[in-house]
Amino acid sequence: MGYKYITEEQINRLVDFEGARAYHLGKSRAKKDKRMSLSEAVGQYVQDGDIFAETGFAYVRAPIQAYFEIIRQKKTNLVGMGSPMSNESYLMYFDIVKAIHLSYIGVEMRGNDKNFARCIKSGKAEIASIWSHGAMALGFKAAQLGAPFVASKQLLGSDMLKQNPYVKVIDNPVGVKNDPVCLIPALFPDVCIIHVQRADRYGNAVIEGPAINDIALAAACRKVILTAEKIVPEMTIRDASDASIPFWYVDAVCEVPYGALPGCCPGHYYWAREWWEWLVRIGTPDVDCIEDFFRYWVFETKDQYDFIDRLGGIRFLDEARRQMEAAQATIDDSDISFDYQEVIPKRG
Amino acid sequence: MTNVAPANPLEMLAYNISMQIEDGQIVYVGTGLPMVGAMLAKKTHAPNITMVYESGGQDPLEGDMPWSVGCPFTFRKSPMSMEMAISFGQSAVGYVDIAFQGGAQIDMYGNVNTSVIGSYGEGLKAILPGSGGGNDIGSLTEKSVLVGLMTPDRFPEKVDFNTTPGYLDGGDSREKAGLLGGPIAVVTQVGVFDFEPTSKRMRIKGLNPGMNVEIAQACAGFELLVPDNVENIPTPSDEVLTILRTQVDPRRVFTKMPGM
Repeated sequence: MGYKYITEEQINRLVDFEGARAYHLGKSRAKKDKRMSLSEAVGQYVQDGDIFAETGFAYVRAPIQAYFEIIRQKKTNLVGMGSPMSNESYLMYFDIVKAIHLSYIGVEMRGNDKNFARCIKSGKAEIASIWSHGAMALGFKAAQLGAPFVASKQLLGSDMLKQNPYVKVIDNPVGVKNDPVCLIPALFPDVCIIHVQRADRYGNAVIEGPAINDIALAAACRKVILTAEKIVPEMTIRDASDASIPFWYVDAVCEVPYGALPGCCPGHYYWAREWWEWLVRIGTPDVDCIEDFFRYWVFETKDQYDFIDRLGGIRFLDEARRQMEAAQATIDDSDISFDYQEVIPKRG
Repeated sequence: MTNVAPANPLEMLAYNISMQIEDGQIVYVGTGLPMVGAMLAKKTHAPNITMVYESGGQDPLEGDMPWSVGCPFTFRKSPMSMEMAISFGQSAVGYVDIAFQGGAQIDMYGNVNTSVIGSYGEGLKAILPGSGGGNDIGSLTEKSVLVGLMTPDRFPEKVDFNTTPGYLDGGDSREKAGLLGGPIAVVTQVGVFDFEPTSKRMRIKGLNPGMNVEIAQACAGFELLVPDNVENIPTPSDEVLTILRTQVDPRRVFTKMPGM
């Protein structure tokens, strides 16, 4: 396959088991205070040309405020991936992500993301390989397990195999039947940012609710940045013994309350549903719209607090907190409404 | 006469989806109408089903309609959640009975396209979001049910891109490819279809009220097989429609006809 942006070195680095291992061996073991500002962490650890993995589930516990910081810092030539990876769309628009390993980019039932299609059609960014959520998840999991590859039953027979230079089909040499299986290599992105509910200053981190692929990604990626709703004393984590990411994987710890907005964060806040509808229904239909949209939400805001002001300030936050608690049934939810005004653009 | 308005086409879809589910099953649920159908099944004929989600939510307490497969309602008081690779693994290892899947194109062998209309590169017409978990649940789950609005464009003879294999080229080609399980039904606004056991071609099973074989055929871009007995699917009872409208999708997010 001929590629326009992704280099052979970037293609190979994703599956470079020995390279990732050597990188991990070279990382500092010091249990030191890794707290820093989000802009410092992004400045230092997200480097042009990195293979960048999305975490969370698109708009569930995803470090979206950190993605906005990446936009502000104008990183470039990143290779984007993740399962799912819906936030890559606008990163492609800003020439930050130039190639993607595609699993899914979209906002489910909220509407089509026309920006994603436009970026690929116009050649602004390219698709380097195509995956299912589960196949990519297995690649991250293999990396965490220290297994050079895993064999799967997904992807078989699919046209994705023709668009994926990494995956190979073989007849299972160790099975009862020698039936076909897909070999999915262990995947080692360069960097991921993980939003967690709690972390200590060293990087021991607790994820509440679905972890998606984040525990595997923390082990697989060469560099790991945490954004945390709260920084807690180490002893709080030791008492509960509920960390799923150990400090030695982590390079930077950033206290970013509300860091998953406009997505949701279990235990903290429900999502700004209208924002996603604005994005796909008003923000992406043409190029002028997306410029306006990101000027308003990203370039004219310096941090999550400015962003929250534009969502409605304390009234928005309080409603989002109540809705999350109601959804998780931790408060009496009988009077909590999930009604909202769906964003429907005027035509013509 | 009754005061309950008859089912609209989306409500018929949700109802027919619900009827694919048997009580006691473990159900892999996706966004949109499959979620509505599964919740309707749970509130009517299948109260003992367990729902699992690709984002990791397992067996949530009943609550509001999830807004996404990652919505907090998919893990509302879940005893546990699972990492994504493990949640899909349950289908492969035999702990999930049935799954649902939609697509921009569904072909005569139940192959599904959620990737691209035309082809990547020169022949590109439209880019779709991609597989997501569709390929995984369709490749691994024992029974899958395909859901779509049926038009000749959306039901072509062959999908432009095979994101989630159904029976591939028919016959035993799915088994030969090494895939597990397979599609058992296709639910559309016209009715319910199955796959002829030998050729694996799509076949009419039952038709919704007001539909007939000619209409069904006119909605497909390939020749549908017609069995000797085509079932007439009854309209859902007033009780079921009332549950659908008042308890399952009270805000009519998924079952309101556009423009109505």
